Amino acid sequence: MDFSEEIRSKAKELLESGTVDCIIGYERATDGVVARPLFVYQPSNVDRLIFDQTCAHNLTKYLLNRKDKATAIVVKPCDSRAINLLINESQIQRDKVSIIGVVCPGIVKAGLDNTSGELQDACLTCQQHTPVLYDFLVGEPASEPDVPDAYPDVSGMEDKSAGERRAFWEEQFSRCIRCYACRQVCPGCYCLECFVERLDPMWVGIRIAPGENEVWNTIRAFHLAGRCIDCNECERVCPVNIPLSLLNRKLGKEVEELFNFQAGIDAETPMPFSTFDKEEKLGISE
Amino acid sequence: MAVEYQPKIVGFLCNWCSYAGADLAGTSRICYPPNIRIIRVPCSGRVDPLLVVKSFQQGADGVLIAGCHPGDCHYSEGNYYARRRLALLHTFLEYIGIEKERFQIQWVSASEGKRWAHVVSSFTEGLARLGPRETTLHKETV
Repeated sequence: MDFSEEIRSKAKELLESGTVDCIIGYERATDGVVARPLFVYQPSNVDRLIFDQTCAHNLTKYLLNRKDKATAIVVKPCDSRAINLLINESQIQRDKVSIIGVVCPGIVKAGLDNTSGELQDACLTCQQHTPVLYDFLVGEPASEPDVPDAYPDVSGMEDKSAGERRAFWEEQFSRCIRCYACRQVCPGCYCLECFVERLDPMWVGIRIAPGENEVWNTIRAFHLAGRCIDCNECERVCPVNIPLSLLNRKLGKEVEELFNFQAGIDAETPMPFSTFDKEEKLGISE
Repeated sequence: MAVEYQPKIVGFLCNWCSYAGADLAGTSRICYPPNIRIIRVPCSGRVDPLLVVKSFQQGADGVLIAGCHPGDCHYSEGNYYARRRLALLHTFLEYIGIEKERFQIQWVSASEGKRWAHVVSSFTEGLARLGPRETTLHKETV
């Protein structure tokens, strides 16, 4: 499976016609194994574009830096949901983005200069192999596999006792070094001033201490409730391997059950926390 | 002799209903446990999940949020938004190991002084039965 040629010819066409002035895509990194983001401004450079199973990055984050400029972007199905999210939240304009959607077979785990060829965990339960939104599709639309239990990891955690979960999360949060890579990489994290950097009131103390880390990790996840598009980039970039998907996916699962909503499937459905239903009870004060 | 465990509760009360309800309990001389520390907020919709998480991190044994009954919000719909957000927060807190008994959302109107006393009493009793939080996180926080 190699879509590189198709992407290159489309990119060249878009640049030469002047439809866009930048293509955001992937190129081979210097280690010769993994992929890294690439910004193409000249038609002569399109041959550097590639796409294969090592193209892990969710490039939609970069669209936030090019809000008013015509841009083309290469997206995987999960990334395409991020574009819907950003349009829904009025962060980007649909007519400024040309979307080159790629039918995704799943992304492999990779290190600095090696790849095991094994699929990433997030890709194992993926039910979105064709982008939800695109202008040009590369590859044949795939039929979705029947995944009976989309949240086996979350159910496993729910089955534990409160005490076990407390011990588990305290251990995880105590390892956090608060580098905020999870935030930097997330297309949903675009606040100009993040709560964690507020000094007055200082919600999260500067010390890298377990309690402060817990506030950070809990609220980071909660700010993405009903907004996380499950690209799992936060977990991939975490230098201390905190299983952030367990937090994000729990919230995603609950939002799906309570409000019948999945983030980024379309750009019109109101976000679950900006709307309400007067009749719903949600188990409060009954 | 060991001092009997007294749970600490942080309460966020909406200005228009629950705070007035708590006031009514006071002026009516209804007794209820002094374990709750009340913070007055303009609306239950003001309660950012961050306030709740922060309270737990700072050593609260329980957090109680009280607002107007649905339909009675002073700002028409603040508590509808709060309801969605806090319902999800409740599940999420339980998921990260804060027992669901430690977090409560109650609708208490300005005329429900008795109900307010009952809510605080039963919440305090529940927390006392549960005992202190088994965590190491808040101990090192000043």
